[in-house]
Amino acid sequence: MTSYLQLSGLNKTFGTFTALEDVNLDVQKGEFITFLGPSGSGKTTTLMIIAGFEKATHGAITLEGQSIAALAPQDRNIGIVFQNYALFPHKTAEENVYFPLQMRKVKRAEGMAQARKMLDLVGLGGFEHRYPKELSGGQQQRVALARALVFEPDLLLLDEPLGALDKNLRESMQIEIKRIQKTLGVTTIFVTHDQTEAMSMSDRIVVFSNGRIEQAGAPLDIYHKPSTRFVADFIGESNLVPATITDPAAQTADSPLLGAMSYAAEGAPAVRAGQEVTLVLRPEHLKLSRAPLEGYHSAQMKIETIVNFGDSGLVIGHKDGTQLRVRVPGVDVVILQEGDDCYVNWTQEHVYLVQE
Amino acid sequence: MNASFKLIGLLVVLFIAAPLVIVVPMSLSSAPSLQFPPPGYWLGYYAQYFSDPTWLRPTFNSIVIALANTVLTMLLVVPATFALVRHKFWGKSLANIMMMMPMAVPHIVMAIGYYSYFGQLGIVFSKLGVILAHTCLSVPITFLVLSANLKGFDRTLERAARSLGATPSQTFIHVTLPILRPGLLISSLFAFIQSFDETVVAIFISGRNAETLPRKMFDSIRQDADPVIAVISTLLFLVVLAGLLAPHVLRLTRRLFGRPATHTEPRS
Repeated sequence: MTSYLQLSGLNKTFGTFTALEDVNLDVQKGEFITFLGPSGSGKTTTLMIIAGFEKATHGAITLEGQSIAALAPQDRNIGIVFQNYALFPHKTAEENVYFPLQMRKVKRAEGMAQARKMLDLVGLGGFEHRYPKELSGGQQQRVALARALVFEPDLLLLDEPLGALDKNLRESMQIEIKRIQKTLGVTTIFVTHDQTEAMSMSDRIVVFSNGRIEQAGAPLDIYHKPSTRFVADFIGESNLVPATITDPAAQTADSPLLGAMSYAAEGAPAVRAGQEVTLVLRPEHLKLSRAPLEGYHSAQMKIETIVNFGDSGLVIGHKDGTQLRVRVPGVDVVILQEGDDCYVNWTQEHVYLVQE
Repeated sequence: MNASFKLIGLLVVLFIAAPLVIVVPMSLSSAPSLQFPPPGYWLGYYAQYFSDPTWLRPTFNSIVIALANTVLTMLLVVPATFALVRHKFWGKSLANIMMMMPMAVPHIVMAIGYYSYFGQLGIVFSKLGVILAHTCLSVPITFLVLSANLKGFDRTLERAARSLGATPSQTFIHVTLPILRPGLLISSLFAFIQSFDETVVAIFISGRNAETLPRKMFDSIRQDADPVIAVISTLLFLVVLAGLLAPHVLRLTRRLFGRPATHTEPRS
């Protein structure tokens, strides 16, 4: 079975600058995919190539098995929500939503009715006659979404659409976008640099860095099995511990910081003895105790700073001049004191070996 | 301290603006030539302006020339502005300088240039000659206004239109043009006023056949200082005043009778 949208070997160079390098991705019909990465990582360039506003230097792009590389943007039937919404300021909300139908020669009365139905779906019934400048940021966002969906696009692209909204509104829009996407079943690519947005909304996350795909997978897989140091660092909080491989067959390594330790076999890349590697330990997988815990690997450290968030706390300790971060449940934070000596405990399956 | 600053400000405004307003009583004067203060008041010179062909013909000429100048200027400047604002090409900065030249060269110098150049071409003393010369003079100001507008134009809107199914020309007609309309209107207005006001070039090349209103006024001042000049000035003054007040009046009526632009939450 071929996938719905397929990117194979995409390259993009601007002069001597390489914006994209060998990007390969298969998207299934109805999937909600998030492109996650810092700015300049290539996620927006990939989106613009899919939309038809940029041309790949090399590589193929197919939708339902057909190459769309030669199609002009207006012939691709792809809905896009832009970062600044890009609503037409001289048109009312319903005229904005009617525009794609107008371009598809749908009669005005019929098209306006469809536009109003779509505005209802995004929760903007009653705002049809407002001009964009008479709408709040969240409302403009909904109009942009309705406009990108009203013509039943084959693909919906969202380019950091929540960046301009405040935190509460952003969270409610995340749920709203997800709801609408499920209702319509439209295949969606969402671009963001916000990892919580990516974690909460996506079926699959594609992590971009320096024009390459670092890792693609389900949110929890990416979180629990980061395959590269970049992914481990970018998604969630991480303790990155340098180590030297002692025996690749037994998954053991020696860390100057934490001593001899073993790492999880699953997802670990091939390494040889003596290789310098990075081991990743998530702060929430570490346990603090007064004495070493039975059945755990342990190391001693001194608590330097305690940040209490209420529901949980972040304990930052020092061992031999290197920071270790430990996430502690809220009820346990209060019994800890800055300056205390304690033990950090972990198990083998929570130590990830990642590629540089 | 503050009050005396305000007083100085007021005096400066009065001193500078007085000549603009002084033509109003002068236009109602009963004196045989321009004179201030007027010895008496009547409306006779208004009647004279509207019935005298030696005044009406230049008025008509000026309007025709200004309109043709506006159309021609826009036809040249709109594509030029798009090219200069949106594209990179060889010789772009030179083209930019050329566009602004007519603003730097004194009108009297250009007038002499056009007089001899158009003489060779046989279009001196014709409406066509005046239209062409005025177009050249109108280019810089229209270009300045329009390019400022175009630079502020968010091109994502055009991308949005394309993604929604519009071809490049549909995008231009349905999105770019309507959004730039205020800028286009203002720059056309500038082109029109530039031509309607222009005196120096008109004196040199408009001749008898294409005599414009400013040229006729200039001639009249030199010969008999006909108070009709004050009438025309007053009328122009009123037209401009109406133009300036129109948006405010519109906004006020919209506020009084239109629907209120308040924000409410979407019903769920």
